[in-house]
Amino acid sequence: MTLFCQLIENQRVTQHMSLETMSCTRCGDGFEPHEKIVNSNGELWHTQCFVCAQCFRPFQDGVYYEFEGRKYCERDFHVLFAPCCNKCGEFVIGRVIKAMAANWHPQCFRCQMCAKELADCGFIRNQNRALCHECNAKVKEVGMGKYMCNKCHGMIDDAPLRFRGEVYHGYHFNCTACGVELDSTAREVKSRPGFAANDMNELYCLRCHDKMGIPICGACRRPIEERVVTALGKHWHVEHFVCAKCEKPFLGHRHYEKRGLAYCETHYHQLFGNLCFVCNQVISGDVFTALNKAWCVHHFACSVCDTKMTQKSKFYEYDEKPVCKKCYERFPGELRRRLRTAHENTMKKTA
Amino acid sequence: MKQSSGVSSCLPVSAKMSKAKKVLDEARETQNRELDLVDKSVSSFEELPGLFNMLNITRITLSHNKISIVPPGIANLSNLEILTLANNQIQELPVSLSSMPKLRILNVSINRISSLPRGFGAFPALEILDLSYNNLNEKNLPGNFFMIETLRALYLGDNDFEFLPPEVKNLKNLEILGLRDNDLLDIPREIGELTRLRELHIQNNRLTVLPPEVANLDLLGSKSVMKMEENPWVTPIMEQYLLGISHVLDYIKTDTYKVLYNRHMHAGRSGPPPPKVDKSKKASRNWA
Repeated sequence: MTLFCQLIENQRVTQHMSLETMSCTRCGDGFEPHEKIVNSNGELWHTQCFVCAQCFRPFQDGVYYEFEGRKYCERDFHVLFAPCCNKCGEFVIGRVIKAMAANWHPQCFRCQMCAKELADCGFIRNQNRALCHECNAKVKEVGMGKYMCNKCHGMIDDAPLRFRGEVYHGYHFNCTACGVELDSTAREVKSRPGFAANDMNELYCLRCHDKMGIPICGACRRPIEERVVTALGKHWHVEHFVCAKCEKPFLGHRHYEKRGLAYCETHYHQLFGNLCFVCNQVISGDVFTALNKAWCVHHFACSVCDTKMTQKSKFYEYDEKPVCKKCYERFPGELRRRLRTAHENTMKKTA
Repeated sequence: MKQSSGVSSCLPVSAKMSKAKKVLDEARETQNRELDLVDKSVSSFEELPGLFNMLNITRITLSHNKISIVPPGIANLSNLEILTLANNQIQELPVSLSSMPKLRILNVSINRISSLPRGFGAFPALEILDLSYNNLNEKNLPGNFFMIETLRALYLGDNDFEFLPPEVKNLKNLEILGLRDNDLLDIPREIGELTRLRELHIQNNRLTVLPPEVANLDLLGSKSVMKMEENPWVTPIMEQYLLGISHVLDYIKTDTYKVLYNRHMHAGRSGPPPPKVDKSKKASRNWA
């Protein structure tokens, strides 16, 4: 739909034409001498006849809109004929963009990713979104697991070079120190430590970077700009030096090493074992080990009467817990008989 | 029963009381925070006057006595960490126990407990719960029993469980689960979610199959225990068992076994379940 909208601002009221030959465009009647006459583009009107075809009220400031030979005030014209913009909800006057099954102001129809105006450059419908060609290409590439170079906007086939928060083809850059052309292995270095913004960052090839002596995190393989933790023969970002079991960072707390891995206190003891069965605390001194469990010196005791036992104490096993002889003898006879039979059966089996 | 207990506590009462009382007095004097009252012929907490006001006590051991009632007032002992009441004649426990803020170890094995009170699972710090050798089964557990998240060890051996409720999976910290000498017919699949479990005692039950999820558990480590003898296992499990526990755990991982297990669970039981063992001789059954 195209609307022809004409704005007339300078009507003139004339009085020097021959009154007999003149008639009002609306009612057809003639004009009284000295009566004010409206002349709009050569058509004459009684002032009371020059009104909006819809509301019959005079045009404010003489401004009207014409559609199919009728004149309307601005408000009624909009209500009757003008489309509403799908974004801002206002009437669209002038150029209307019809797209995505809706109407839009040209300045309201934008790419839903980068907000660029789409009226003149065209758009692509992608999953019910209107996208510019560039964003559509990006989305497609991410969908295929690929990146678009932020410099040449071409697709990056191998690993991207990350620099200042964007991805690039490595070959667009050269090493800050030696000038060699870079690839994805290049290292981004904060040239002014302490600055949060990354626009001070510079790129170095691996060789030059190694010469600079910047430590590399053993977990993420990225350079460490802030505090360095050194453990297990490697350097780590503070937040990347974590328990191998729960993956929580130690953040300066004590860690325990075992077979090339680091553990927090709880998980080290949970996995490699020296938590006392009774107090569930780490055993620092002597350890009593029996029945697949460990006890600290204070808590190695009969599980029935809580009497302390020593390394030399003899005890019975009841559900893999130690029971002293005195207590065992006070067990119900029926239970002792069953335990004895069970014990004999296992002895037979192992023999 | 009333008569005989009346007679037995007629004359020797004063001597008996003084014995137990002496321990209390001594503890008060020396500020000892641990009370050993093992085999002191105590038949009631009334013989331990003032005990519930000794607020600094951290351990009470009353094993091998004749206590039948645990008064709710014991929960007054807000610093108590270990309560051992093994080998008594307790039939019921007060729910107030489960509100004791520091209680970590509760041993009420070898008693006559036939049900636990409603709300008993509310313990805030309990780590070891020993209910062995009582008269418990899945029907007389309170609804929140398996909500004791702090629990490391749960001993239910020598009881009357036929099924283990699947809610057992909520015991996230459980390392030891003792179910020796029950009447178990089934173990729920959910047991596979107890990732920290390293001791499973299911010997002397009526089990025929194991859920394949048991193989997810670390039951073969150097600190692990898996006891499963004396069950009417289906032939393939029995064959593997004779070769060793590791063979059983390897076997129940296989697709062959998973098919067999699913078929077994869907088909339902063919014929009557294996008979229960006669337990009328158990000391926990001595009511009158």
